Amino acid sequence: MRRPMISARLARGLVWALALVPVVFFSIGLGAKDFSSASSILNTLGRLTGVLGLALLLLAAALSARVPGFDQPFGGLTKLWHTHHLFGAAALLMLLAHPLLLALASATHGHQLPVKVLFPPLSDTATWSGWAALLLMMVFLAPSFSFFGSPMYERWKRIHALAGPAIILALVHTFLFSRTMPVNLDTAIWTLFALLGVGAVAWRLIFSRRAGRVTHTIVDVQAVANNVVELTLQPARPERRLNYQAGNFVYMTPLDKSLAAGHGEEHPYTLSSSPTEPNLRIAIKDLGDASRAIQSVTPGTTVKIEGPYGRFFPTSGETSSPELWVAGGIGITPFLARLRHLRALKQAADIHLIYAVQDEARALYADELRELANAIPDTRLTFHYFYKEGPISADFLTTTCPDLDQREVFICGPLPLNKLVQEHLRRIGLPYSRIHTEEFELL
Amino acid sequence: MKKLMFASFIAFWAAVGTLLAMQALTPTPAAADDTEALPEFTLADIAEHDTLESCWMAIEGKVYDFTDYIPEHPTPPFVMEQWCGREATEGMRTKGYGRDHTPAAWAMMEPYLIGTLVD
Repeated sequence: MRRPMISARLARGLVWALALVPVVFFSIGLGAKDFSSASSILNTLGRLTGVLGLALLLLAAALSARVPGFDQPFGGLTKLWHTHHLFGAAALLMLLAHPLLLALASATHGHQLPVKVLFPPLSDTATWSGWAALLLMMVFLAPSFSFFGSPMYERWKRIHALAGPAIILALVHTFLFSRTMPVNLDTAIWTLFALLGVGAVAWRLIFSRRAGRVTHTIVDVQAVANNVVELTLQPARPERRLNYQAGNFVYMTPLDKSLAAGHGEEHPYTLSSSPTEPNLRIAIKDLGDASRAIQSVTPGTTVKIEGPYGRFFPTSGETSSPELWVAGGIGITPFLARLRHLRALKQAADIHLIYAVQDEARALYADELRELANAIPDTRLTFHYFYKEGPISADFLTTTCPDLDQREVFICGPLPLNKLVQEHLRRIGLPYSRIHTEEFELL
Repeated sequence: MKKLMFASFIAFWAAVGTLLAMQALTPTPAAADDTEALPEFTLADIAEHDTLESCWMAIEGKVYDFTDYIPEHPTPPFVMEQWCGREATEGMRTKGYGRDHTPAAWAMMEPYLIGTLVD
């Protein structure tokens, strides 16, 4: 149980360390002169932030590759994206500081110079390609950090694709200046980093769009509630059946022009089926345009499936230690998948599931969950109703599950619930390594 | 995180705006552009200042005293020292490997201007 956490930390640590490689080579080229005055220190910092910012930007690109399996050491795709997000943020911070530091460094040579350094004549391609890259970064990162409100998923994705041109311009900028590191090393290091970033993007555009997507047909559509459907998907070719673990998620692209929204768009959904089943099952709640439109999809529709991704549960079958699960709303799906799988394997599992919902009517799969909890030895189920009991309290957790400090905890649900339960658990004294969360709000 | 990013984004444009405002509000010293009033030097005059202790250069018809700047230059001092006391336009235009200095670097020379070159 502990191993995946350590390896996730190691994997993240390695990528951060990789970002420092260009900085190390940059530092080798530094001398006493680079720190001899306030202006030379500013200049050195200006160049340093440029080097680090570009390294972070290229690694953020590399982390966006979405190769099935590649997310595993990072603790799943959502965790990997969290790292990608942090890299993007750090890159932007560095690259915002970069031109300002260089401009200020020039001030000792004349008070007119900072502006001339920032806005040289148009013939200065090197500087202006840097500006163009930075402006594009501001545009494609603005929605990621909700500068001007939260965007819709598809719109965000289209804007985020500007990362491609931004990276190319940033590389042009660096290669034209090419004085960040001792000669040749400069070219070698940036070429390597550029290949990582560009390779990842090429993978996304070519592999994951074509070879990575497997055709399935919707064979059944069940209404779970008035705003939730469960689709059953049959692989078009049985030999290309998805090999996954309970609790994984996939990207699904429906190919149905009659849908009100979402035709040809990929969206991530959790698999609710047991991997032993011949078909995939996906439960989808109406949360946006595409997921609303999919509520009325009809059997026979073709969809493309890419995955599996995620690593919510370290194992999909047996439990190696007692577990506490906290689900909220549609966040029940990975747990449902796991219970269905345990049932299919006819295994006992010491699990306590707390399912938090607004009221009885919104408890998804309530009957099936009760039935599964009865059928699987040692598994217990408790419902928590918001309208009766308010938000989950620490008291509720310790009373319902007195031995929770002995358990590995898995949380999946809306962000406020997720945060609240984590706070309670931390106060009770559970170490981070015992708390596992799955976020389905990706922005 | 979102707050930090937004604050940095605003801070960046505030800083750029401040620099531009400073530039716009500072009167340009009229005399600096008036090369007529500058002293005239010959290549022989310049040749007397060919050390790091006193380093003059002729670049595109103008004469500069770079003595105070050399410690600030990104390269080791010997790189500029080779051009002290000489016509150094080539050094400025090629950096020794065929690449021109940036327009910003050209602009940075202005405060070191001491005269014009005559035959």
